[in-house]
Amino acid sequence: MASLTTRPRDAQTIPVSLDVNGKIYELDIEPHELLLDVVRDRLGLTGAKRSCDMEVCGACTLLVDGRPVSSCTLPAFEARGKRVETIEGLADKGRLHPLQESFIEHGGFQCGFCTPGMILAAKSLLEENPDPSEADIKHYMHGNICRCTGYKKIIESIRAAAAKMRSARSRS
Amino acid sequence: MRFEREIDINSPKEKVWRFLWDVDRFIACVPGCKEAGTVEPGKSYTATMVEKVGPFRVEFPMKIDVLESRDLSYIKAQATGSDSKIGSRMKVELDVSLAGDGDRTKLSLGASVDILGKLATLGHSMIKRKADQVMDQFAGNLKQKLEAHA
Amino acid sequence: MLRRFRLEEPETIPEASELLGRHGETARIYAGGTELLLVMKEGLAHYERLVNIKKIPNLDRVKRDDGVISIGALVTHRRLSVDDVLNKQLPAFVAMEKNVANIRVREVGTIGGNLCFAEPHADPGTLLLALGAKLVAAKAAGSREIPVEKFFVDAYETALEDDELLAEIRVPVMPSHSAAAYLKFGYLERPSVGVALFLSLDGGAVREARVAVGCAGPTPRRIEAAEEILRGKSVDEASRRMDEAGRLAAGASDAIGDLHGSKEYKEHIVGVLLKRAFAQAVEQCR
Repeated sequence: MASLTTRPRDAQTIPVSLDVNGKIYELDIEPHELLLDVVRDRLGLTGAKRSCDMEVCGACTLLVDGRPVSSCTLPAFEARGKRVETIEGLADKGRLHPLQESFIEHGGFQCGFCTPGMILAAKSLLEENPDPSEADIKHYMHGNICRCTGYKKIIESIRAAAAKMRSARSRS
Repeated sequence: MRFEREIDINSPKEKVWRFLWDVDRFIACVPGCKEAGTVEPGKSYTATMVEKVGPFRVEFPMKIDVLESRDLSYIKAQATGSDSKIGSRMKVELDVSLAGDGDRTKLSLGASVDILGKLATLGHSMIKRKADQVMDQFAGNLKQKLEAHA
Repeated sequence: MLRRFRLEEPETIPEASELLGRHGETARIYAGGTELLLVMKEGLAHYERLVNIKKIPNLDRVKRDDGVISIGALVTHRRLSVDDVLNKQLPAFVAMEKNVANIRVREVGTIGGNLCFAEPHADPGTLLLALGAKLVAAKAAGSREIPVEKFFVDAYETALEDDELLAEIRVPVMPSHSAAAYLKFGYLERPSVGVALFLSLDGGAVREARVAVGCAGPTPRRIEAAEEILRGKSVDEASRRMDEAGRLAAGASDAIGDLHGSKEYKEHIVGVLLKRAFAQAVEQCR
């Protein structure tokens, strides 16, 4: 992986304060290091996966300032001064996020490989649109690919989570 | 991908046949082909294929094997190469037929090109277009060089 | 694997232009990187220096500038897809941007980067052709306007000079009783065929028509022959001649058979999309 290869002494590095799931990591990052590799190899957060490596499948989806990005093709220095969220940061002190609960309840995953990316993408969808129609969900999630489920359960999980989150908001 | 060309050359068959086996002159007709070498005359050769499309550049060291040849009428050859930097392989099956008498020769070229690996997925249309161009230039160069040697 | 490169972060256009001029082919402009980093990861191209232009101010505005909509080169597809000014002035452009690639590419990729990379299988260039856009290229010495017809030279090649960067896209405001439509077709990751139509009506007749086909050939192109058939005709007559217009557009699209489909199939799709685009645009013109 890029970040584990030999770094010449005179390599250009950029000092970056990386905020990942609310925790600050002070790192010296070379321009060519990709966010996926920094998060997986340097920070040990392996929820995001390298799958297609060409921005098409969504298995590497991370949220940067709440917005979904392909971390396989985003240099890590681009996350300086921004908030990075990975799947590991979703649960709040052991309490699962409504999306995580929903995916479990409604069978929104089988092998689980695409799931971290799916859930993060769905999270940003629901932040933008708390009451998405099925067409809205399909359009937003179009770039997250799943080989196992056939998508029906994923859509159900997202709708159920959306409903749960809406009623939680109206109660508070 | 299959490409076919037919060229009429104002040059007798014998001259054309000799030219085809003159590796350096033959390779010089293929745009992007350089550094021709003979491993075993009449049987196996080497060359490097360099192609550029916009900002993209690929370099394939090729191994060329003559599979079949019939004096003054037919050659079948296979060229294979791989660019490990980009994880792609190229295979070309080339067949050349000569027909004609006197001072005119009809040269029929056929090339079956297979590109494998990431290059093929990412740039299939571009490869096709480029290969077409290369074939056109190759045929044109052959004709020009052969007729100049009259 | 992405090889090591040096990052430059100029804060002005002259600085960026000067870096390009100094380092020539070994340097390239970098914004979203959604196309560029892919080919660098594949090893198909390498640049020793990437010139990050995201610190240069005023390249990310969308505004109405009299009779022109000005779009900064650094505006992401995502921002374009939700922009209020664009939604009011160029709804067809917003609709196209909403469907570029996927949500992640839209989030990071910029309109300028998309146009400058000049990937044949892309959407924006085709519609900008039909909209008669002008692209502003800037360098240290100044800037110039390039009509979009002259911008795409070949696949992955634009008319930008070595030390120029694309700063702005200028699209004329749509006149009243006019509409644009962009339809695309594909089942791979990138679109296989894209057709854009600009239609302006006067009474019940076609005052102006601009037809563009993209993705089929190495660059998007205007199809003047199809436009001539439509221009000056009543909407009804133009509708009746759509098959012919479709055939002309298909033939002139320079389609090539490949993984995206055979030449004949793509040409057929061009005809179908043009017909649908016409119906859609007519509906919106009224």
